[in-house]
Amino acid sequence: MVKVGQAIAFAQEYAKRQSEDAPFDELMELVQQIVAFHMQHNAEPEAVDLLMEVEDLDLLVEHTDKTNFKRTCLYLNSSAKYLPGPDDTLVLDIAYMIYMKFEEFPRALQIALYLDNMQYVKQIFMTCHDLLQKKQFCYILARHGITFELDEEMCADDEEREGLQEIINNSKLSEGYLTLARDIEVMEPKSPEDIYKAHLLDGRASAGASMDSARQNLAATFVNAFVNAGFGQDKLMTVPSEASSGSSSTNWLYKNKEHGKTSAAASLGMILLWDVDSGLAQIDKYFHSTDTPVIAGALLGVGIVNCGVKNDCDPALALLAEYVDREDPATRIGAIMGLGLAYAGAQSEQIRSKLIPILNDAKASLDVIAFTAISLGLVYVGSCNEDIAQAIIFALMDRSESELGEPLTRLLPLGLGLLYLGKQESVEATAEVSKTFNEKIRKHCDMTLLSCAYAGTGNVLKVQHFLGQCAQHLEKGETFQGPAVLGIAMVAMAEELGLEMAIRSLEHLLQYGEQNIRKAVPLALGLLCISNPKVNVMDTLSRLSHDSDTEVAMAAIVSLGLIGAGTNNARIAGMLRNLSSYYYKEPSLLFCVRIAQGLVHLGKGLLTLSPYHSERFLLSPTALAGLVTLLHACLDMKAVILGKYHYILYFLVLAMQPRMLMTVDENLKALPVPVRVGQAVDVVGQAGRPKTITGFQTHTTPVLLSAGDRAELATEKYIPLSPILEGFVILKENPEYRDDQ
Amino acid sequence: MSTLTVSVKWQKKVFPAVEIDTAQSPYVFKCQLYDLTGVPPERQKIMVKGGLLKDDADWPKVGVKEGQRLMMMGTADEIIKAPEKGPLFAEDMPEEAQVVNVGHSAGLFNLGNTCYMNSTVQCLHSVPELKSALTNYPPSGAGNNVDQSSHQLTVATRDLFIELDKNAKPVAPMQFWMVLRKKYPQFGQLNNGAFMQQDAEECWTQLLYTLSLSLKSSSSSEEPDTVKALFGIEFVSRVHCTESGEESTERESVYSLKCHISQEVNHLHEGLKRGLKSELEKASPALGRSAIYVKDSRINDLPRYLTVQFVRFFWKRESNQKAKILRKVDYPLVLDVFDLCSDDLRKRLETPRQILRDEEGRKLGLKVDQKSSGSDTDVKMTDNEESANGNGGTSKDSSLEGKEVHLTGIYDLVAVLTHKGRSADSGHYVAWAKQENGKWIQFDDDNPIPQREEDITRLSGGGDWHMAYICMYKARLVAM
Repeated sequence: MVKVGQAIAFAQEYAKRQSEDAPFDELMELVQQIVAFHMQHNAEPEAVDLLMEVEDLDLLVEHTDKTNFKRTCLYLNSSAKYLPGPDDTLVLDIAYMIYMKFEEFPRALQIALYLDNMQYVKQIFMTCHDLLQKKQFCYILARHGITFELDEEMCADDEEREGLQEIINNSKLSEGYLTLARDIEVMEPKSPEDIYKAHLLDGRASAGASMDSARQNLAATFVNAFVNAGFGQDKLMTVPSEASSGSSSTNWLYKNKEHGKTSAAASLGMILLWDVDSGLAQIDKYFHSTDTPVIAGALLGVGIVNCGVKNDCDPALALLAEYVDREDPATRIGAIMGLGLAYAGAQSEQIRSKLIPILNDAKASLDVIAFTAISLGLVYVGSCNEDIAQAIIFALMDRSESELGEPLTRLLPLGLGLLYLGKQESVEATAEVSKTFNEKIRKHCDMTLLSCAYAGTGNVLKVQHFLGQCAQHLEKGETFQGPAVLGIAMVAMAEELGLEMAIRSLEHLLQYGEQNIRKAVPLALGLLCISNPKVNVMDTLSRLSHDSDTEVAMAAIVSLGLIGAGTNNARIAGMLRNLSSYYYKEPSLLFCVRIAQGLVHLGKGLLTLSPYHSERFLLSPTALAGLVTLLHACLDMKAVILGKYHYILYFLVLAMQPRMLMTVDENLKALPVPVRVGQAVDVVGQAGRPKTITGFQTHTTPVLLSAGDRAELATEKYIPLSPILEGFVILKENPEYRDDQ
Repeated sequence: MSTLTVSVKWQKKVFPAVEIDTAQSPYVFKCQLYDLTGVPPERQKIMVKGGLLKDDADWPKVGVKEGQRLMMMGTADEIIKAPEKGPLFAEDMPEEAQVVNVGHSAGLFNLGNTCYMNSTVQCLHSVPELKSALTNYPPSGAGNNVDQSSHQLTVATRDLFIELDKNAKPVAPMQFWMVLRKKYPQFGQLNNGAFMQQDAEECWTQLLYTLSLSLKSSSSSEEPDTVKALFGIEFVSRVHCTESGEESTERESVYSLKCHISQEVNHLHEGLKRGLKSELEKASPALGRSAIYVKDSRINDLPRYLTVQFVRFFWKRESNQKAKILRKVDYPLVLDVFDLCSDDLRKRLETPRQILRDEEGRKLGLKVDQKSSGSDTDVKMTDNEESANGNGGTSKDSSLEGKEVHLTGIYDLVAVLTHKGRSADSGHYVAWAKQENGKWIQFDDDNPIPQREEDITRLSGGGDWHMAYICMYKARLVAM
């Protein structure tokens, strides 16, 4: 208490002198002495607090040394989340400088990524001269999902650079994922029936199995795609065609109706996720089909296979480019969405020049334009690109009064919003322009832009602003409250405390809000706890899944899938199974239940949809963009997901990542070592050397990490090159290690 | 006039040194690849900067560099063709056809305290023989000895049954209700301007009575008395006077067995036995005064559908209403009435019962290899005994035509009408009927809910939950 009082006393004195224009010198001299004392006596938080109060954090750098810089930076990092405006960047800049000073490059890289400062990233590559470390940086960049080109300055040797670039391009992701799957012994493909587990239900299971239901087959297509995602084999789509008598892949494709075939063909892309070589070979056969929905699905499938993976030959662009200008809207959408998925975050000039003309094309149908806007938003996510913003704004202005009422039109503001994802104030100019829109879409656009721009910032003022919007009573059927509710989740998901508060606020909205708010609340909860099934949220959603309003129930069911995505959570699986018998007569609700069941077993439990990684510090912009796009589509479930645009569900592929820890040796070959996995403990500001995990178990890598889990090496034999044990981690032999035996 | 050496990646293979003659068109290059991969040139897709390699492209413009790695996509697989006849989807079917998919018939809307009527109709609707008899009922009416309102009620019943089979969505039994009130004005009683709740048993009895009249007289139906053949139970009773030793035999025909409930009755069988013995006081010609006679009844003829009524309601004078006995009386899924039958009937039942036993034994023996061959006939059934009758029920009836079928005295539960509440004229009636696919459906007015078989026997009373009021059993038949 005394120390806090001290910081406050200094702050008051500082403020007083500032207002009186009195000199600080004397005061700062005192501060210098106090900071020096604190830093030498394990009281780093106090020193940081004091310096923040007197707005002179720069002083900190010179006082750090090898023993205290880690704790100092940890405190800086976590306090940054609660600081307003430019201060947070300033604090992180200091932390970056300190890390660079002590050559703690992986941590510095994390901060650079958090600040989205490519200059810093480049600087790290240039400062570090250890190739192995650089490889580790590349793994971190790849997990973050950004496109980054290495140049000669960063790595002089051509061959080495190629090797590094390959890591950034994620070309070994599929291999690593399959190694994990083999280790956990889940290679055996699963059929939708294995997921539904209808035998555990009695009496109510579908009676008339003799008849194929197009909707249920479509659901099975998605379940099959989600469950077997990335495994390269399944029981519906990749069955060898020799067995044409039974259930060959052709047959399953044609067990889907019209636009359902698009999703079915594209599901092949999901099954072969990240495996570009065999993926393209298997999708190839659909390109020669005479059926337009199948071709559209093949195009989309190419996009899905290439999602998050880059290839020197740019196969996605080469294959999809010519279809973008086809006549048939379905084919066009397939190609456009495919490009968006394959090049999310790539900011590729070629794609921009390809897609922008469509926005102004008077002949293009509304759905084509909507998907173009989303794809451009994805490719240029968080870039604040003026040209694209202009083009989308013009496209919105060109829409007729009736078109503005269409649910798909609402994807246009979202495309615009994605351009400013997480960019805070940069959105303001565009937000100003959006005020001139037709009143039907004006408020909706405003909310979408704001929510995207402040996504992942934890800005409480924005949360309040959104809550204020939800308090209004609407008479004219406006739709802006949906994005506002989602906005609360998008902004508040940044850190744990804000997240808990947002969950409580959403409970209130549920009780007092009107229908258009209530149906968005489950989706917001789904985003807040994505792939993290918190029990209280699970209960809320379970309650809402029986809501008398079908839209609320559908949103709640899909959200149950989202919070349990890739966890195999038995409780959620049980809930969904019961729901499937409860709603056995209602095809739309049953469809949602099936989708949710597929999500819970996403990648047989090896994948996560969480956009956060690196101990929940970094937010992958493309992953968030994919999730937000799906959630916006879910705001009008009936028109979009249950209509003919169900393939929007494939936007989730952007957020899919293996939730693994894979240790590799210096030659990037898998290296099994014992690790302890347990619940992460917050050690900020704690004295001494506190334990960072609790309730741990010891496993051998590769291992799965659940939400909130942290791993640490259980052997001294190796030294990890990244302090954060997630994803791919390179291990280097410890030269000081001596075997006891 | 130069050549470039490139490597080509195809699927997981890499062809390290492929030479390109830049003077020739890319088509030649594709033919080279055809030799290597077997993929016809027209199906090769080669990725170069900015798109696919065109057959007529100019090599210098494509900008391929020495040593560059190209990627080729394409397969020599057969191209997938759409099947000539696409599958038929449930969604494409007209609404009527979707009923089959739902697996049960429609519910009935409550028209204001008409749950007693809805549940009665649903129970009777589960008797296919009654349905077919009604379908054969001539639309003009037999005319002879049936009055107009009975005729109308019969027609309305027929139409309602057809409606129920045709629809997946609930049906409003407007016409039927109007006609029922016309025929039996007591069902039209009003209380505070609303129709009153009625006793379902009364509705059941009256409706069957009307149908028995109208269907008997119709000349087109094959059997002289359809309803009697389906539901009629014949009793032979020995009336014995202990005082005088007088004895006489009586025959009577009823439509339902009564299960009297007293302190000692815990099971349906006990109640039925008790109902067969009664004491009555009547004038004795021998004694010249009234004396106590013991009436000992035995079943002499069994119906296809055995209706059992639990006598749960009695007139309670102090409260002036039909009060209910809540006592728990268990009833089985399979009922054997052999020991309630007369000696004569027992003799007739002997052989069919033996055949049935043999058949069942065979089935159990067969079961082993059936399972191993993965036949799905038994999969749905959990209980061995159930599988025997579930499969037997409908399919046997049709397959055994031509041969003579015989009753066995063994009955399977097919419908239960339950009541919830404390008196007959209040509370709620619900029908629980077994569908032809062997699934139980609870028809709660317009809302059919699937139920598990084991839950059906739990409706035996002893609380305030639904309890069985009328049970309908279907005879297990054998061919001889």
